[in-house]
Amino acid sequence: MTMWNRHVSGELAAYVDGALTPRAARQVELHLAKCTRCRTGCDHVRSGMAMVEHLPPVEAPGAIWAAIEAELREPRPGRAPASRSWRLALAAMAIVAIAGFAAWRFAHPPGTRWEVRRLEGAPAVGARSISGVGRVGIGEWIETDSRSRAVVTIGQIGSVELAPHTRLRVLATRPDEHRLALARGEIRATISAPPRLFFVDTPSGTAVDLGCEYTLHTDEDGFGLLRVTRGWVSFQWNALESLVPAGASCSTRPQIGPGLPYFDDASDAMKEALARFGLEKGERSAVDIILAESRVRDTLTLWHLLSRVDAGERTRVYDRIAALAPIPVGVSREKALVLDPDTMTRWREELAWTW
Amino acid sequence: MWRLGLAASAVATMAFGQAFTFTIGSPVASQDSRSKMAAFVFRVEGCAEPASAQVGGTAEGLVHGARTSVALKLTPMSRPGVYAVFPTWPAEGDWVVNLNGTCARERAGALIPIGPGGFIRGSSKFLPRPATAPEIDTALQTLSQGRHQ
Amino acid sequence: MGGASNWRVVDLSDREVSGEILEACRLGDREAFRALYGVYKDRVYSIALYFFHGDHAVAGDVTQQIFLKLMTSIGRFRGEAAFSTWLYRLVVNACLDITRRRASDALILAASPHETAGGPGAQEEAYARAQLAHSVRAAIATLPRKYRIAVLLRYFEDLSYEQMAEALDCSMGTVASRLSRGHRMLAERLKHVNSRKG
Repeated sequence: MTMWNRHVSGELAAYVDGALTPRAARQVELHLAKCTRCRTGCDHVRSGMAMVEHLPPVEAPGAIWAAIEAELREPRPGRAPASRSWRLALAAMAIVAIAGFAAWRFAHPPGTRWEVRRLEGAPAVGARSISGVGRVGIGEWIETDSRSRAVVTIGQIGSVELAPHTRLRVLATRPDEHRLALARGEIRATISAPPRLFFVDTPSGTAVDLGCEYTLHTDEDGFGLLRVTRGWVSFQWNALESLVPAGASCSTRPQIGPGLPYFDDASDAMKEALARFGLEKGERSAVDIILAESRVRDTLTLWHLLSRVDAGERTRVYDRIAALAPIPVGVSREKALVLDPDTMTRWREELAWTW
Repeated sequence: MWRLGLAASAVATMAFGQAFTFTIGSPVASQDSRSKMAAFVFRVEGCAEPASAQVGGTAEGLVHGARTSVALKLTPMSRPGVYAVFPTWPAEGDWVVNLNGTCARERAGALIPIGPGGFIRGSSKFLPRPATAPEIDTALQTLSQGRHQ
Repeated sequence: MGGASNWRVVDLSDREVSGEILEACRLGDREAFRALYGVYKDRVYSIALYFFHGDHAVAGDVTQQIFLKLMTSIGRFRGEAAFSTWLYRLVVNACLDITRRRASDALILAASPHETAGGPGAQEEAYARAQLAHSVRAAIATLPRKYRIAVLLRYFEDLSYEQMAEALDCSMGTVASRLSRGHRMLAERLKHVNSRKG
């Protein structure tokens, strides 16, 4: 009897991870073929590993390095334990000026509150005006009037500046999700984080951060304009998505979602046609102008247009893109015209080199 | 797995009559969010094994009339042969990024002027060898005199 | 299980931090240490955070202690093992030491997803993802600490079983056993989540 006739529950993780030699792995396989109990165990190991994949990595707070540096610079004999020194550094960084063990906990209780700083006038958090620095928590509104501005520190990942006459609500403040809702007005977001950690909901869609700086304007009726200055942003409404890179903008409409993204240096005729296209979907003369006015970099707009026109128009759009930029290897006309997802992705990735 | 690499290499060889060169783009082209703050990104083309191409360069500048040069920070992105160029040059002055690369026995170069709005694609030059000093000087003077678009 | 002959040894040397940086750290170069810290800080912090049930205070303490200890004792690292193995031995020891000292390994769960307010246009998919992450965090917090640290080490730092064995100061067979049992326990405790996902 070989060792593999016994159950292999202790080896299952190594087997799934490919850490066994081929011979040992083969023996586990042979055992699994005969043993329901170990097969079930193997499924559980795989399932557990898949669950762990949902844990997002968390960025270490900047205060830790500050405290380490301070310790290395001036190690004090009989110094305070390391556990206090980094929190004192944290307090010194003016996040929370309460010394001791409570400092970090107070700054980051469950349902973290973000810092709000007045830039001008008298911004308000809920019913309270802010004269210097305040805090905003989940569910609370930040509002600026016509003479005020404010900036919100978004956890550890960046900041959002509120223009005058803006109303913004905090929806989530967790390490794996930072989410705001812009009811009206304009914000300028500067975010440095892994993608899809920062979201801004508006009445006409959600801006999903993919690493960027942008301004987002929403009026009282929910019409909006997203303008990206660095990186790129995805604007989503149900199944509709517009990818907006730096130097480009995208208007949004309630119940319709994001329009076609366009570069800010596109011709006025093209911008006007895009505005008409959004209002009268499929309007042919608007499409004529968009195609006629498009340059190489306007393939950004044209690529998005492919999925927003009917099959008849799609051929014209395809032909225009092909005239502006060579169709890459791996993109076939037939598949592009039926909007095959892999084909569209491959094509977008290649066209992005012209944007 | 090595057979896939062999097949891909064969396809690449068949597809190319193309010389080794660079293609530049804005950070979105890298498909990598780490490039967000980059001045631009580039990829190598016409190289059978993009990841094996040797790339380097400098940022060449004219600051208050004086010529200066700083090292470039090229960061490999997740796709082989794609790199992000992060600004290592100061805001003042006129700057041109001077790229060069080697793939097998082929060489390539590029001069990419940097304007207030970022890299100037229309004025960029792509060469089958590293740029010469006179070429760099000409690019800088052109940029400085505002003849770029 | 049999001895080392059943184990596949994976060479991760190309992922290691460069010898130049380590040498510079040994010489007291603060910039080199800063670079080293930058490479590992988030993974170390993440492991500590999830090990200590989402307690940012303790995770910060542990992270600071580890890097201070690393800097002050880097002269003792002679390169006979991979640097990451040595670092993660510090992480494991720090995490297990603190749990031994704490009067109770109390569960302090991170913010419940129910605290988020449904705003205009909130995406159901993103909310569901956040809920799932919360459930996984909670389940990990209930694992016995030796399984917990093995699961987190495997996930956040892509160590080989050989390296994990060195970091955990046990045999590769024990690593495999702890990972097998730890992941099975997670699957059991999260089966309600799995059944909802379908």
